[in-house]
Amino acid sequence: MHNQTVVNRLPRNVIVWLAIGILALVASSMLPAGFFSWLWDRLNVFATVFLGIFVEAVPYLLLGTFASGLVEVFVDRDQMSRWVSRRPAAAAISGAFMGMIFPVCECGVVPLTRRLFKKGLPLSAGISFLLAAPVLNPIVVLSTASAFGWGEMLFWRFAVSLVIAVVVGLVFSVQKEAGEVLRPVLAGEEHDHVHAEPGDSIPEKIRKALLITVDEFFDMGRYLILGSMLAAGLQTFISQSSLLAIGSGPVLSVLIMLLLAILLSICSTVDSFVALGFVGTFSFGSVLSFLVFGPMVDIKSVMMYLQVFKRRAVMYIVAIPFMMSLLAGLVFNYFVK
Amino acid sequence: MPQRMFRSFQGLLLLGLFVFFVSKVVNGQLTWYINSRFVPLTIIGILFLAILAQTVFSEIRRSRQHALEHPEHHHEHDHSPSAGNLWIMLIPLLIGVLIPARPLDSSAFETKGFNTSAPLISSDSSAQIFETESEERNILDWLKLFNYEEDVTQFVGQKASVVGFVYFDEALGSDQFYVSRFVVSCCSADGFAIAIPVRWDASVGLEQDSWVVVKGTIESTALDGNRVPMIAAESVEAVDVPDQPYLFP
Repeated sequence: MHNQTVVNRLPRNVIVWLAIGILALVASSMLPAGFFSWLWDRLNVFATVFLGIFVEAVPYLLLGTFASGLVEVFVDRDQMSRWVSRRPAAAAISGAFMGMIFPVCECGVVPLTRRLFKKGLPLSAGISFLLAAPVLNPIVVLSTASAFGWGEMLFWRFAVSLVIAVVVGLVFSVQKEAGEVLRPVLAGEEHDHVHAEPGDSIPEKIRKALLITVDEFFDMGRYLILGSMLAAGLQTFISQSSLLAIGSGPVLSVLIMLLLAILLSICSTVDSFVALGFVGTFSFGSVLSFLVFGPMVDIKSVMMYLQVFKRRAVMYIVAIPFMMSLLAGLVFNYFVK
Repeated sequence: MPQRMFRSFQGLLLLGLFVFFVSKVVNGQLTWYINSRFVPLTIIGILFLAILAQTVFSEIRRSRQHALEHPEHHHEHDHSPSAGNLWIMLIPLLIGVLIPARPLDSSAFETKGFNTSAPLISSDSSAQIFETESEERNILDWLKLFNYEEDVTQFVGQKASVVGFVYFDEALGSDQFYVSRFVVSCCSADGFAIAIPVRWDASVGLEQDSWVVVKGTIESTALDGNRVPMIAAESVEAVDVPDQPYLFP
């Protein structure tokens, strides 16, 4: 009887596919000439942009997941609670400056933060680390300085990022129940495939750290890939040049820059060189908001956030920096420059 | 999926990524995707991928040995990891293999647009560009100079020799075309195109997106109200795609 249903189903499938094929042929003959070469061109741009983001991000993701593996095997929960203050304000501020020790950008920071949470890092410290580390680290200081010089842009970029990171960290310190914010993987319900034991020898620890790196690389990598595909897809079909063309006026220009920060999904280590290209046409405030908001939120980082935090929490992590970056941009546009 | 099969799948994917990256380094296409200054970082990443693949394969050997020595513990891993999402890692490999690699060209202008001016970054002094022989300057250098200097008449009449791809724009006359390059700070995602108009009588014989070296003298012209350089070409010759198709600011 089972066999019979398979036999019955087969021709129906063939008919459906034939119908789809014929429809596709008819539809393609009605398309304007040159449509397929246009589509092929778009596909090529998509492939080049997607692989660009991916190739660029892989070393950083490896760095972040390896850091996470090392934290898993070398840091225990007691040490963590000795290092980091439980007072919300102190925790948020120290979290924001932790990026100076862990030079990771937005791809690497997510797995590392997730691991630190597992080790008992307070929520407020972890959130401000997550948001600040991609900017407040030595590599980004140097790249921003080499693009803009040791001047106002550098200072304000770091000051505003620091304030936003600490504020969001404090907002989360109100939530005492980590399980309300973090996805269950972190609350200890689900386990890793690899377990660190306190008595492991150093080579054994390294072996385990590397296996954790592999697991996390695949775990986070798939969201990096989906995020990069989305970003590349948007870049292939949404015209940045017309976006930039409508972006004048003190409010609209900031909004456009924020939108572009999400759309471009570029690594914080080099975004200042890209931002420099907007200096001529965009005001100080809007470029600043691009530099502050871009490292905190873009398509691929939001995809990765969703693996660590519950949806509601991600909404806050995206919305508060968005509004504060917008506010910072507007303040500069109206009152300073 | 049993633990060992899951690990094998992981190992193969890591190996696949390793081969993909190595092939891009070997055929010189890595700079079609990223700024050349990140190449060393990518190489470190490649070595690390190899270490990870090795770790996974030796883990598989270990667990096989373990199963042989302790058959009674065969079901040690009752939580079977799901491989459901590992396959996503295949996407970049498939895209890399199935879609022939091509650096950004004028087909990206549709969404990315192009510029006829370029900003000076604070770490390069214009003095440096002044000192380079005029024929050594690339498209980016010329645009920076014209953007930075108030008085551009000093450049008029200088010899220029630039490499780029051909782009025909409806706004230009039939004896003109743009010679363009993409400027990439980080990766192809942030690439933006820059272009210098070229006057060349035989323009119609050129092909869109073909790579050329343009030799001639610099003129100054107005485009949309901006002062931009223009090259009055004496020769336009076809060249191969340069090793580094993009310019790096």
